[in-house]
Amino acid sequence: MTPEETKAFEEKIHAFVGRENGPPKRGNDDVNEAMIRHWAEVMGDELGTYTDAEYAAGTGKGGLIAPPAMLQAWSMEGYPMAENPAQDIQRQLHNVFDAHGFTGVLGTNTSTEFFRDLKPGDQVTAHCIIDTISEQKATGRGIGYFIETLTTYTDQNGEEVGKQVFRVLKFIPADSNDAADSSTEDDSPSVPTRITSPRGHDNSWWWKACDEGKILIQRCTSCQTLRHPPRPMCGECQSIEWDSIESTLDGEVYSFTTLHYPKIPGYQYPNTVGVIQLSEGTRLVANIVDIDYETIKIGMKVKGSVEQVDEKTMLPVFRPE
Amino acid sequence: MITETISFASVNVGDKLPGKEVPITSALIVGGALASRDFTSVHHDKKVAQANGLPDVFMNILTSNGLMGSYVTNWTGPDATVKKIALKLGAPNLPGFVMTLVGEIKAKDDSTGIVDIEVIGENNVWGMHMAGTVQVQLPQ
Amino acid sequence: MVKDKAAIVGIGNTEFSKNSGRSELQLTCEAVRAALDDAGLKPSDVDGMTTFTMDSTDEIELARAVGIGDITFYSRVPHGGGAATGLIHQAVMAIASGMCETVVCYRGLNGRSGHRFSEGVSGNIITADAMHWGWYMPSGLMTPASWVAMYTQRYMHLAGEDKVKEALFEVAYTTRQHGATNPAAMFYDHPFDRAEYDAQKKIVGPLKLYDCCLESDGASAVIITRADKARACKHGGVAIKGVGQSAAKNMESMTSFYRDEIAAIPSMDVAAKEAYKQSGLTPDDIDAAVIYDAFTPIVLWQLESWGFADPLKSADFVLEGGLRLDGRLPTNTHGGQLSEAYIHGVNGIVEATRLVRGTSKNQPDKEINHALVTSGVGVPTGGALLGKMD
Repeated sequence: MTPEETKAFEEKIHAFVGRENGPPKRGNDDVNEAMIRHWAEVMGDELGTYTDAEYAAGTGKGGLIAPPAMLQAWSMEGYPMAENPAQDIQRQLHNVFDAHGFTGVLGTNTSTEFFRDLKPGDQVTAHCIIDTISEQKATGRGIGYFIETLTTYTDQNGEEVGKQVFRVLKFIPADSNDAADSSTEDDSPSVPTRITSPRGHDNSWWWKACDEGKILIQRCTSCQTLRHPPRPMCGECQSIEWDSIESTLDGEVYSFTTLHYPKIPGYQYPNTVGVIQLSEGTRLVANIVDIDYETIKIGMKVKGSVEQVDEKTMLPVFRPE
Repeated sequence: MITETISFASVNVGDKLPGKEVPITSALIVGGALASRDFTSVHHDKKVAQANGLPDVFMNILTSNGLMGSYVTNWTGPDATVKKIALKLGAPNLPGFVMTLVGEIKAKDDSTGIVDIEVIGENNVWGMHMAGTVQVQLPQ
Repeated sequence: MVKDKAAIVGIGNTEFSKNSGRSELQLTCEAVRAALDDAGLKPSDVDGMTTFTMDSTDEIELARAVGIGDITFYSRVPHGGGAATGLIHQAVMAIASGMCETVVCYRGLNGRSGHRFSEGVSGNIITADAMHWGWYMPSGLMTPASWVAMYTQRYMHLAGEDKVKEALFEVAYTTRQHGATNPAAMFYDHPFDRAEYDAQKKIVGPLKLYDCCLESDGASAVIITRADKARACKHGGVAIKGVGQSAAKNMESMTSFYRDEIAAIPSMDVAAKEAYKQSGLTPDDIDAAVIYDAFTPIVLWQLESWGFADPLKSADFVLEGGLRLDGRLPTNTHGGQLSEAYIHGVNGIVEATRLVRGTSKNQPDKEINHALVTSGVGVPTGGALLGKMD
């Protein structure tokens, strides 16, 4: 968008600020035991005050209550959202965003205050207004705007039972910025896997053996010196002739560290990595697994094996002997 | 069933709640979306989720909110009263991930009996899923 | 030889922030203009340029933007923060050999709002040696903190874990104290105590958050000119007494895990030897220092390389208060990269110049005749000895 177009767009969206989303919306169902039980099962709520009327009567609550986090659920639109959502003011606002390329939507924050516990029979009505729209932001998801709605929930007596600020990001999905390259064939991306090594002339033989479950150590055929990581020439005698031996993966911890942050997709944290002194004399950097990292000591004997660590990757891993 | 309620006097700022691992499954994501009456397609339809740039269906914010609530009330016990839940979402929760919940008491108000519990849910693949604060009033 | 052939005559920084809101080119222009003003020179006086291979600002774009005219020397130094004093190295050689007279050394980056170095090589690999990183990415050992942590663990094993951990705190604490009283520092007015340090999250064992440098947006520039011209500049000159640039045997970028012993940084030993030899100075002559502090432990090893402590003994030097303003070697008086800003060590050259001029915000209460400034380590590195002009 040109600066003028952006200005016109922002005027359009800011006209929504302060407007009511629609008439107050009373929940289709009053607070009831069945929906509470359904919720409690999924969320793992273990309190009898949610699901056991007899028990609940004897607690300080004096009877069943709904899990507080359910508050928003009582007045949700339900199944029509999937097929034919109501064209309320918020939807109209989103349509303006969509028409300008801000098609992505993501709930980013919710903050709810609860003024009293809800009990079966209570009737929840939501009063929602478009409260604020942020300046344009560059987010990790893409360029976008945060929209905050403020919802006040009242009961059958018109008294406030809770208040919620809900913030969504409407953004231009990063992919649509390079639309020319959007025809990817793989329509089922999978869970991220580890970042693997690029393979070239000097290292692909090593990684290929690793794929097959073997850890090799390069050996100069002229002076027999072992070397790792592999290099095309021997630093001792300058020979370019070499073969390799297979490591037994017996070794000890020469040094190690445990990574906590940042968390890179495809890896599990905490992630312990060691420099392993192999019995053959060379060193190898690899994960140390199945041990509390606080108990690892330099000099500890370890034994390695080559294992499949994710859907795509074979790697050496070491365990204490 | 949990019947004991933690008393205000028995907790201190800096106390940690026991951690809890929540395996994220399609059942939890879809079940949570339906229990919260959220029929937005990305929470039950893998193809739509993929069109939105994620590998699979992902957890809706109401379920994250519900899990944060249950994590705290399962710890406090029945006679506590939740006053506020505020959370910020980070990386999505997808089937196959494991989310670890941890909590720590950050503040304690003697006049009201309300404690602020910071709760963080991290998944093992993409990291921080949610971080927030639950305010809960405990019996004296 | 290069001793006293050239001098730093101008220094300039932008502000340091988490989001500069402008291009790296613009930041760099502003820092260069500030450095020229500081020197009392005009853009047309500049005829040479040096920066990092990693820097995004093209020499001729910068020249056109700032109004610099004909250029007879330009060069770039590789290896990220290892290039910092390499800029001085290049400039001095060019000036001493008559290739040019006045060099601007610059580095500008949106290191927080743009590419963040803490992400390591997980995202866009910014070095050409992708195959080298391939030995470490699959296991997850791919952030600067994790590479440094690997040496640190070994160092603690040999030097004593408890003592080294105390020394790491002292490095972090003293540096932050300095930053807290430097208005330009990102951590100005934000000192911390032991409890706050301990409460920070673990980044990579044994390093916690405050053992790691900032990520910052900003730029720094330094003007170096021929010694005889320096005297006419607004603040005179700070002489370059010696400068070393160095890689040592059996080295990898950040992952030299295959040496006989890894609890030291031999490449900095080489730089120190070079710089002392050129200058005729010894460790006893050095009054203050700016030591590259991307992470706290690398300060310890550099103290050993430069002869302020014996190998494996720098924790004692640090724990005796050696880095404090009233200590043997007041160090990172601007707050370092831990607390002022992470401008890849070039803001450190600016501070070392101030120390010799006597204009640091935390100027030690003694005569600073000579100051040391170093580059990033783990990578090929370097260091420079600055001093008063004869």
